[in-house]
Amino acid sequence: MTARLPSLLLLLILLAGWEGWCRFGGLSPLVLPPPSAVLATLGGEIASGRLWPHLAVTAAEMGLGLGIGALVGLGTGILLAEVPALSRLLRPYVLASQLVPKLALGPLFIIWFGFGMTPTIVITALICFFPLMETTLTGLGEVDAARRDLFRMLGASRLQTLLRLKLPAALPVIMAGLRVAVVLALVGAVVGEFIGGRSGLGASIIAAQSVMDSSLIFALFIVITALGMLLYEAVRLVERRVLHRFSKG
Amino acid sequence: MPTDPPPTDPSAPGFVAIERAGYRYEAGGPAVVDGVDWAIPRGEIHCLLGRSGCGKTTLLKLAAGLLLPSEGAIRIAGEALRGPSPRAGFVFQAPTLLDWLSALDNVLLPVSLKRRPTAAERAAARDLLARVGLADLAERRPRELSGGQRSRVAVARALIGAPDLLLLDEPFAALDALTREELQDDLLRLCALHGTTALFVTHDIGEAVYLGDRVAVMAGGRLTQARRIALPRPRPPALRYTPVFAAACRALREAMDGEAGPASRRPAA
Ligand SMILES: Nc1ncnc2c1ncn2[C@@H]1O[C@H](COP(=O)(O)OP(=O)(O)O)[C@@H](O)[C@H]1O
Ligand SMILES: [Mg+2]
Repeated sequence: MTARLPSLLLLLILLAGWEGWCRFGGLSPLVLPPPSAVLATLGGEIASGRLWPHLAVTAAEMGLGLGIGALVGLGTGILLAEVPALSRLLRPYVLASQLVPKLALGPLFIIWFGFGMTPTIVITALICFFPLMETTLTGLGEVDAARRDLFRMLGASRLQTLLRLKLPAALPVIMAGLRVAVVLALVGAVVGEFIGGRSGLGASIIAAQSVMDSSLIFALFIVITALGMLLYEAVRLVERRVLHRFSKG
Repeated sequence: MPTDPPPTDPSAPGFVAIERAGYRYEAGGPAVVDGVDWAIPRGEIHCLLGRSGCGKTTLLKLAAGLLLPSEGAIRIAGEALRGPSPRAGFVFQAPTLLDWLSALDNVLLPVSLKRRPTAAERAAARDLLARVGLADLAERRPRELSGGQRSRVAVARALIGAPDLLLLDEPFAALDALTREELQDDLLRLCALHGTTALFVTHDIGEAVYLGDRVAVMAGGRLTQARRIALPRPRPPALRYTPVFAAACRALREAMDGEAGPASRRPAA
């Protein structure tokens, strides 16, 4: 707690400066609402219960997109690492698919899947796929040759070598990929909603923008950031547990 | 100390028979192992001595079946190797323990890859750990062990399946002199216990003389010298500091220098 005190103090100073600038700088609250107004809006949204359904939608899109993208990315990474011929065949396509700006696919996904959560989940999953695939591929490839020789010497099957040597050894790298994916999942979900969302925090930002309610936009920023930090910390917790079990002791 | 010529007769009795084995990492590349003939009778410990880069690890991997010879053949108990030999235990240059398993589970790895270890097998693993002086550290993870302790775990792991043949690749090279001597004594005891045949790779002349019934000197992929070490067994630790031991080391050293020829002759360092 004492370690966080300076950060907290800095936050208070920044907020005070912001508040002062809005009050005495003659800035229109439409351009930059003071923190007090933002907090009041946020409190109102929470009290009225309007916020929760949107939060639930965005959290669900993020969670599902991250889950699906991470699992498919992990699976693809394992497949490409285990079958080098397949890797050589597919790598250029996988890379190209990642260089397509996925948000630009939003309109297409709306045609395919309609408005609602599905196109956003698909976009989020596509975004989360790559870091997991890439780190899995790298991690599995980095397992040192002597330990692979050891498993050959012990007559381990391919599946045993994967499950009992390569995956545990690659776990720290894969978990780092998962952390990156969490951050990207939030961006994917919110921006996905900009394009085709009916509800959710991103859609709420667009709605607030259309009525020029900038203090609501700021309030939504806070909620989105908090959601991101919560998920990030959750992943860190999982990571620590898993790495504790699989590496240090 | 008598010099005996490398055996060239392919029918020579040997539990391990390396017959004119050659190995190239790339077709058309240099022969890293070049026409090596060698036989190890059952129960003997042979040492392979040579500068780094002369092909010792490659030859050891051939004997293990981790590499298949480009020329010649390797036979264990008369049978040509076609892949990693289930009768051999390998101790790598680095301990290659799995960081996420306890010392005990690392020792049990060869068993647990085949089936769930029984209580008797767990007891055998604990017994092996005790024999290498790690009775109290069985639950520790590798990161919580010193370098010497990790090497001990690696030796115990190689012995858990009671292999007929033990192959060791400079397993103690990274350790301090005292720890190395302790581990050498542990190894001799454990090999004597089951009459294990061993091929021990080292670049340390003293280590080769202390451990070996026979020492082969390797240079440029070939075996250039072979000497029987006429020291009695069991070998007490104090043997290392006797004149007869020093004389055996000096003779081997001179043989190596003589082999290298006057052009590459260097003062003994
Ligand atoms: N995987 C490999 N691919 C190509 N060349 C190798 C490989 N491993 C070893 N070599 C070469 O083979 C030679 C002998 O290596 P090695 O058997 O490791 O020697 P030592 O164990 O005596 O130090 C060296 O010149 C080395 O560069
Ligand atoms: Mg070597």
